Amino acid sequence: MIPLRGRELWIGYAFLAAGVLSIVLPFLWIVMTSFKYEIAILQGRFTFAPTLFNYQDVLFGRRSNFIVNIGNSLFVAAFSTIAVLIVGSLAAYSLSRLSWSRWIARGFLGWTMLFNTIPTLTVVGPWYLMSQEVGLYDTLTALILTHIAINLPMTVWLMMTFFGDIPMELEEAARVDGAGRWEAFVKVVLPLAIPGLIAAGIIAFVFSWNEFTVALNLTSRGTATVPVGIANFAQQYEVQNGQMAAASVLSTIPAMILMIFGQRFVVQGLTMGAVK
Amino acid sequence: MNLPSETRTGLPAAGPGSAARTRSRAGRRRRRAGDRWFRWALLLPALVVLLVLTVWPVANLVRMAVSTIEFGREGAEFTFTPLRNLSRLAGDELFLTNLWTTALFVVVSVAIEMALGFLLALMVAGVPRAKGLVRTMMILPVLVPPVAIGSMWKLMYNYDFGILNQALGLIGLGPIGWLSEPSLALWSVVLVDVWHWTPFVFLILFAGVEGLPREVIEAARVDGATTAQIVRKIIVPLMAPAIAVAFIFRSILAFKVFDQIYLLTSGGPGTSTEVVSLRLYHVFFGQNELGYGALLSLVIIAAIVAFLVTTRGLVGRFAR
Amino acid sequence: MTIRSFRQAFAAGLALAALVGAPALAEEAFLDVGKQEPITILINSSPWYLGFESVVDLYTEQTGNEVKIDATPYGGVLEKARNAVRTSQSPYDILNLDSGWTIEFYQSDVLRPLGEIVDGYEMPKEVFTCGGSYFWNAEKHFRTAEGGKLMAVPPNCNTHVLVYRKDLMEKPPATWDEVLSSCQKVQDKPKLYGFATRGERGNGIHYDFMPFLLSYGGSIVKDPEAGDYTVTINSPEALQALEQFIKIEHGCAPDNVAAMGQGDVIQLMSAGSAAMVETVIAAWPNYVDPTRSAVVDTVAAAPMPEGPSGRGVAIGNWHFAIPRNIPDERAKAAMAFIQWFLTEQAQTAYAEGGGIPVRADVLEKLSSQPKFAWMAAYKTNLEAGKQPLGFAEGAAVEQVIGLRLNQALVGEMSPAAALNTAAKEIEGIFKQSGRNTGMLDPLSE
Repeated sequence: MIPLRGRELWIGYAFLAAGVLSIVLPFLWIVMTSFKYEIAILQGRFTFAPTLFNYQDVLFGRRSNFIVNIGNSLFVAAFSTIAVLIVGSLAAYSLSRLSWSRWIARGFLGWTMLFNTIPTLTVVGPWYLMSQEVGLYDTLTALILTHIAINLPMTVWLMMTFFGDIPMELEEAARVDGAGRWEAFVKVVLPLAIPGLIAAGIIAFVFSWNEFTVALNLTSRGTATVPVGIANFAQQYEVQNGQMAAASVLSTIPAMILMIFGQRFVVQGLTMGAVK
Repeated sequence: MNLPSETRTGLPAAGPGSAARTRSRAGRRRRRAGDRWFRWALLLPALVVLLVLTVWPVANLVRMAVSTIEFGREGAEFTFTPLRNLSRLAGDELFLTNLWTTALFVVVSVAIEMALGFLLALMVAGVPRAKGLVRTMMILPVLVPPVAIGSMWKLMYNYDFGILNQALGLIGLGPIGWLSEPSLALWSVVLVDVWHWTPFVFLILFAGVEGLPREVIEAARVDGATTAQIVRKIIVPLMAPAIAVAFIFRSILAFKVFDQIYLLTSGGPGTSTEVVSLRLYHVFFGQNELGYGALLSLVIIAAIVAFLVTTRGLVGRFAR
Repeated sequence: MTIRSFRQAFAAGLALAALVGAPALAEEAFLDVGKQEPITILINSSPWYLGFESVVDLYTEQTGNEVKIDATPYGGVLEKARNAVRTSQSPYDILNLDSGWTIEFYQSDVLRPLGEIVDGYEMPKEVFTCGGSYFWNAEKHFRTAEGGKLMAVPPNCNTHVLVYRKDLMEKPPATWDEVLSSCQKVQDKPKLYGFATRGERGNGIHYDFMPFLLSYGGSIVKDPEAGDYTVTINSPEALQALEQFIKIEHGCAPDNVAAMGQGDVIQLMSAGSAAMVETVIAAWPNYVDPTRSAVVDTVAAAPMPEGPSGRGVAIGNWHFAIPRNIPDERAKAAMAFIQWFLTEQAQTAYAEGGGIPVRADVLEKLSSQPKFAWMAAYKTNLEAGKQPLGFAEGAAVEQVIGLRLNQALVGEMSPAAALNTAAKEIEGIFKQSGRNTGMLDPLSE
């Protein structure tokens, strides 16, 4: 990182302010929309009497099951993220640090990449049949497993770049001091890869949180996740914009909180006992 | 300077075994026997996940692509008809248009997102304050489900009641058909994509910037290097792996873009925003032509791979 | 007796009455269906969904039978229904299918004919047959009551309706020519548009153009029921209809009409920015909901305007069907619900809850009430209703027409060229599936 100074610093702040503003303004607009009656939204009114109607309808309305949706999403996203971070980091470390023959490593990475390019629409049918056959249809377990598969390629590739940044010497020094391979990995390499783990974790979490196609096909009312619940407000004939905005706002809150705590957890868990 | 080996070759150092190559030969020989079970043990969970969850779906996709599939009371019936699907592809001019639209969409939106994401990452790392706040704010767009993003932007773009045209009206400019002008619709869609996905690029690159060795940059500063020089000569080469991964995965996602466009324009007006995944959806799902749909998705996969290989070649030549 | 204790006594009395009354009420079910297995219904979320949910609650209350509902986004219903019938046992006992999807399900024989579940079951004669789409004639490969087996029943017999503002127009126009002249007279762009339909590519413009095509005597295919798949979309009548359609849209609709979907059209009317729109009756609950509409008191429904060949209305109805791959007991339970749902009382309750009833007697009875005045227009339109895409290639044909019409509306193609191109492509689709096909001489471009 280059610490900016003088004029550069002001340009930096101005750019950041512009960036944050253009990111946040549309979101604020969504928040504003969530406090309007549908008719005020449709007419594009700026002055309006704020109402909690949309929130009430989303949380307690007859057709909505949103609290359950949020619970399901948190559960699925949290578990699949933890699992994919573990599975992905182990694989990435193995591939980037331990001497694999080039062909096995290439084959593995190539396959993950190829799988990542496949349109989800075309694999969801087989997944549906598989989950039916083993009795996992309409369970959160099935969704967690598929989300691990979906996020594994990106996690492996990301973690490989972050492991690649860590100097080999640190690890070798730990080995010379008598640490085992596993110990060197957990106590030396992982703590240094924290920024990477957090980035990979956030990305896996976000993808799981937003995943729609698989969730739609493998769940029903009781197991539906947030994107499926929100899509219900986009009906055949019109969109219930107010409810959809309220649901979007509501769904970002627990996700934000969980991600912030998740980051702390990763940082503290890994820096404890780290050999620096 | 002790740079990781891959940075010298320019781009995709995320490639296999790159870090392993830097190991000293003696060390490798000493530990080879013990390494063997250890490296397999670490890779095993990922292998199991891939074997169980990806092999059959992919094999099934290939099988569908060479078949005509009909469903009856007994389930799916596959008839081997590779030529039927292929000849249909040969005469499918619309799909060519779709590929072109997609390429345009991918190149423009990914280029903007990479540039903005990289600049934002540098700036956030460079300023002394507000890092945490900015990062938190940047996560907001990616947390909103794409279906809601499509609907919300559609409201903002609305011709008669949308906030954009209202704002234009205030300064005396006429309403613009953001989504209904054939020449404009694709760029309106790109704008939404940039809003939604720049934070994704930012998150990856910011993690990369934070991982940079501080001493190297400070030493260059002391030697009197300008900021531009530091960025070009040190930061970009060092971050090449992270940039490559962000670019690769962002491109793949852009090729597969669906929800937003589906909600914003459904591919219209005319065919001006019909990207390949929308077409795939119509064929695979609307027309229930699983065989032809599967073939189209194989073509899409090939297109993505070709795109990535070409960019890699271009970047390689440029960097040399 | 203080007021407070009086209140308490009164409340206790009410509670007692409720206790005594409840079982008595439960015995008076609209139809005695007995004890049945729990069932699960797959249905789309829609403006009329709440009406449906309220009758399901009523059913459970009356009969004690459990009904689960999986309300799913519109597009997801087809995906889930396909999944359900392609596996060893369907998780759903009733599938709600859109008109265009049914042929695929009928043809692949994955649904139980209703007469096989309840011996010789027939729909009550008051229930609309909605163009015959509930019957499947396997020999003809066509949906028709003649020689067809009953495969499904209607939860909603959705049709077009002309929605207009009573305060802006003395009476609704009776013909398309009147639509053109009155919409130009009443409009005040961009504050008020005279008339609008969907112009969006795909199903949107295709479906909303049908009232024009049919009322001008045009058609898509000559006589599919008899096996004659000669493509007729490029007839002079169709050209006239398309030219009228474009003239009206360009004259009175917003400039962005070629990108407008159903939501946009509804929005124009609800926000008070349109004098007339053509929408489906299923959207009606939106116009009369004060939280969603600024025209609650001034909106009215009228029969579709007529063309040279009378009134043309396309039906885009829904179907309650029962999959084969469920145990007999569950199929019986599903049938019990369906029979109960189609009773006159249940349909009345359905209408009261915000649903769109499917019985002629219920429409007649209720349409005299001011809040159900729209039912008269709906009934008139239903009588002229047709199923224009009653063949297996319907979805593919719709994509073709939906694209070419949109291009004609945008001006990428002339109307004649759009129809000629569409005709050629549709002929290609029929050829590929081995139909007896051909096309009319191309229109001069």
